[in-house]
Amino acid sequence: MSNHEAILEINDLSVAYGTAKGDVLAVQDLNLRVLPNEIMGLIGESGSGKSTLAYAVMRLLKGSARVVKGSIRILGRDIYAMDKEELRQFRWANLSMVFQSAMNALNPVLTVETQIIDTLLSHRPQLSKSEARDKAYELVDLVRIDRSRITSYPHELSGGMRQRIVIAIAIALEPSLVIMDEPTTALDVVVQRSILDQIKEIQQRAQFSVLFISHDFSLVSQLASRIAIMYAGRVVEVTKARSLMDPEVAHHPYTEGLWRAIPKITGKSVALEGIPGTPPNLLRLPSGCAFHPRCRYAFEPCRTMRPLLQVVEGSEISCHRFVPEEIHHGQ
Amino acid sequence: MANEPLIEVKDLVVRFPVGSGLKRQYIVPVNHVSFTIAPGEVVALVGESGSGKTTIGRALVRILTPSSGSIHLGGADVTKIRGKALVAYRRQIQMVFQDPYGSLNPVKTVERHMRLPIRKHRQGREGAIGEQIDESLRTVGLTPVSEMRLKFPHELSGGQRQRVAIARALAVKPRVLVADEPISMLDVSIRAEILHLLKQLQQEYSLAYLYITHDLASARYFGDRIMVMYGGQIMEAAPADELVERPRHPYTRLLLAATPGAVHTGPLPETSNRSPNLAEGRVGCPFADRCPHVMAICRTENPPLLEQSAQHQVACHL
Repeated sequence: MSNHEAILEINDLSVAYGTAKGDVLAVQDLNLRVLPNEIMGLIGESGSGKSTLAYAVMRLLKGSARVVKGSIRILGRDIYAMDKEELRQFRWANLSMVFQSAMNALNPVLTVETQIIDTLLSHRPQLSKSEARDKAYELVDLVRIDRSRITSYPHELSGGMRQRIVIAIAIALEPSLVIMDEPTTALDVVVQRSILDQIKEIQQRAQFSVLFISHDFSLVSQLASRIAIMYAGRVVEVTKARSLMDPEVAHHPYTEGLWRAIPKITGKSVALEGIPGTPPNLLRLPSGCAFHPRCRYAFEPCRTMRPLLQVVEGSEISCHRFVPEEIHHGQ
Repeated sequence: MANEPLIEVKDLVVRFPVGSGLKRQYIVPVNHVSFTIAPGEVVALVGESGSGKTTIGRALVRILTPSSGSIHLGGADVTKIRGKALVAYRRQIQMVFQDPYGSLNPVKTVERHMRLPIRKHRQGREGAIGEQIDESLRTVGLTPVSEMRLKFPHELSGGQRQRVAIARALAVKPRVLVADEPISMLDVSIRAEILHLLKQLQQEYSLAYLYITHDLASARYFGDRIMVMYGGQIMEAAPADELVERPRHPYTRLLLAATPGAVHTGPLPETSNRSPNLAEGRVGCPFADRCPHVMAICRTENPPLLEQSAQHQVACHL
């Protein structure tokens, strides 16, 4: 993968929230690369740090949250080194985001048309008003909303339509990277599916990268080409989406557990197995590998040593099971 | 399961007023629905938001009173009962809600949450309450009991809270549990455990369920039978595997194609994505506006739910 120029490159990133009980690391020593024109899935349960990561990449961390270590480069540029004006220009033109609740992302007192045109004009002041309007029509066509609805206010549209408008605004300036944080979670399955189909279609036509954040494993494995799995603020595995269906391919025990925990709609109905225990409290992370108290394979080094990501059969996995014996003895 | 049904719902209609004064109109989120649940059977009710599935669950535990139609439990008519008869009825049927964060009182310990339903519905001596609480908590896997009794809701994880809600519902030893999206707000790794618990309770106490969900995959996993709802009506009902493997109704096919993990590729089999009309006096099949196979008759006549093959019912003119 190193011979590709990454769109997004996260190196050794740690993000902390200041709390009364001291700093809590929601994202810890995280490395991740998103390549050109790929849809990368990011899976994690609540509290795994996936949304914090998205906000860090957008440089939208609020309150007590801050980056304490590492760097984030988009198109080779460190976004934390930019000044305010540079950041404003860069954001949305090169990097945009679709949030979970479309309801809150749109301004309730402006028509959809005004909001799309505003977005276009604030970044491309050279456009005339009528050029911007034409472009707005193109965008609503792209997300398959009838042109007559463009003069509607957000409350006049259904949840699915609002989310399509948000997606249209996100891709309005043809960014290289769009971060989507659970964009379809609040929607019905049929609407969800048709929006996902559109995201894929537009992505292939307009050629941009997507970091798609979700807790729904079956959904991401169909949409993305590669998937990163997060647990307790770290990436525990990066794998090809296709490899999840293949029982022969090795996976992190957490990935394996998650996959076994979801009811499947196809094939024979097999017994589900949950993962015992609960996701850890970030204030009291277990020693060594954070997953070891819930892991069926846990053995001695898991309690004391933190495993690093390493290449296993084409995936990257951080688990002591896949570390050759001699390394353990060597340390 | 050929024996007497435990629950028999006939021609159930629920209507709600919208607007007021001269503009008052009625919507009918549940429109002539009939079904049965056998003792110990899990019936999964699947549908999208606005399909009427939660309203059916609420009518069943009589949080709301049906406008017409009837509900029988073990042969007794419970459609309009009130007062003491309703309290007695709720000893037989209980409900678990979607949101384990909203359904528990934040200032009460687990023990106090358990004490009320046990005392109110108890059939034993006062002194046995403590033991009954312990037993209920053990049944749902909240151990060590001595520690769990003293915890407040905020000290529990989502999965544990849902277990408390289940323990509370089971405290009166009901015969039917209405579970409204009991796992949809929980983390993926926790969901399977709760489904396991529900399944285990079904086997141990031969508890019957109405399992309300939007997720066909979990309905298939947990349900013996699946009923698919759309626009306030049942579109198709069949044994779980039969429904997933041999769907007949165009709406079931659409849902199946859209469910994450399905093998379906290519465009979805529908013509628009309008939401169903729930207004009173609507005519025709509620799915007609979206159906790719729509015919003239679909717009004027509502298809009845008919047996197409053994245990497989479909409401479609096709």
